[in-house]
Amino acid sequence: MDIRISGVAKVFPPDIVALEDIYLTVSRGEFVYLVGTTGSGKTTLLRLITREVEATRGHLTVGDFVLRKMKSLDLAFYRRDVGVVFQDFKLLSHLTVTENVAFVLEVLGMPPREIRERVGEVLERVGMWRRRFLYPEQLSGGEKQRVAIARAVVNSPSILLADEPTGNLDTHTAEDVMQLLLSINASGTTVIMATHNKYIVDAYRQRVVELRGGRMIRDEKRGRYEEDENF
Amino acid sequence: MRIFKCVLRDTLRLLLRHWGVSLLTLLTAASVFFLVGASALLLVNLRSMVQKVEAGLVIQAYVKNVEDLQALQGSVAAIPGVSRVEKVHPEEALQRLGATLQGHTQALEILGENPLPPSFEIRLSRASFAPGVVRELLGYPQVEDVVYAGKLAERMAHISSFAGHFSLGALLIAVVASSLVLYNTIRISIYSRREEISVMLLVGATPTFVALPFVLQGMVLGILGSLGASLLLGGVYASFTDFIRETVPFLQIIEDPRLFLRLGLILMGGGITLGWISSWLAVGRYVRQAIRPI
Repeated sequence: MDIRISGVAKVFPPDIVALEDIYLTVSRGEFVYLVGTTGSGKTTLLRLITREVEATRGHLTVGDFVLRKMKSLDLAFYRRDVGVVFQDFKLLSHLTVTENVAFVLEVLGMPPREIRERVGEVLERVGMWRRRFLYPEQLSGGEKQRVAIARAVVNSPSILLADEPTGNLDTHTAEDVMQLLLSINASGTTVIMATHNKYIVDAYRQRVVELRGGRMIRDEKRGRYEEDENF
Repeated sequence: MRIFKCVLRDTLRLLLRHWGVSLLTLLTAASVFFLVGASALLLVNLRSMVQKVEAGLVIQAYVKNVEDLQALQGSVAAIPGVSRVEKVHPEEALQRLGATLQGHTQALEILGENPLPPSFEIRLSRASFAPGVVRELLGYPQVEDVVYAGKLAERMAHISSFAGHFSLGALLIAVVASSLVLYNTIRISIYSRREEISVMLLVGATPTFVALPFVLQGMVLGILGSLGASLLLGGVYASFTDFIRETVPFLQIIEDPRLFLRLGLILMGGGITLGWISSWLAVGRYVRQAIRPI
């Protein structure tokens, strides 16, 4: 699914401009870093795509879905194709690793055998199979993020949105998580990752979109965290 | 089917996770439904007593001549509230008086000629009709006098009306109280699961899928509360009727098991409906807000 953002603005009441005049197209299978300082609008942009936030102006389409005119049932079906990873993981503390991941498929009414198979596969993929019976509080930050990624991709979504997925992790663990996101991207999933992590962006060069004060100031293929002086 | 199983499991989880709140809601709902059931039983018994008294309530209308009996019967029967009209000829009235006096029939012989006038014995469908019927009867020139237990009739009408209002009041209070309790319990459950709900909605759960376990929770609490109330009411009422039978035997309390079955079914129907409506209101509002973009 392609993401097309055209002339989008978001103003929070009373008059806080979070995004202004955003034009952005992300093609299927791309990996995009959203960079910028705190308050630059990265999270708002991601939340526009999940339709937790509605644009004040402009058009936003994801595949065939026009996000401004969406009924609640369409929204549910749309969100099944968009995985989300949060900086604070948002794992359910009373569920085990397996249950946290299986939960998504149960919500979708998948048969138990298929749920077991899929959850097993995805936990193997993120390296959490051996920790599958543990609860979130028994996991390290990196492990929690792996489970959160597993939960986000277990349904094989077309798009994966990651909001500061390495924000709470040390460099080594952040690299592990990054490798995981790249492998997910390599299997055809579009990945949009909001990050502050200069090291990661510079080490794994991908398309970089930079926001400042709600405006898009840079869109660079295989860019660096900071603007290249020769750019 | 799989989704249904998932919803059922979630419902059970909700009930058990907050077992203290669930228990409190059950007790409150049961108390409220007990109050409703008790007031309904009170009303049914009062109505039954009123009906018995009303059935025995007779208006005696005396007319001038025997011919007036035939001439007026149709008009009297047509007065609103009149359920039965019986003509009483002077001879029949005398016979009745004789039967009443039993061993003292010589008193009748002293009278010589039959002094008793012809009359109508009028029965009413409800005691409250009595004053109106009496007014109508006195409007006929052929009617000489009307005799009836006016005060008793009015008092019975008042008691019946009061019982009706009391039951309606109790029902309204019960509906509001149980709705509020159920509504708040569901709100607490929602609050405790708000993070889970937000994740569910983000991964593509439909609003109905999210709401259903909460609605079922409300319905289960409603039906269990009313079931508990019905059983308790049955026990208390059985003891009460035994006590009344021994101490005030002339007071006739209804002891029909079908009445309890009907009352139990009505209470459970009410419980499940209230549970459904209150939980649907609580969760519907929350889910609508949760999916509405900022």
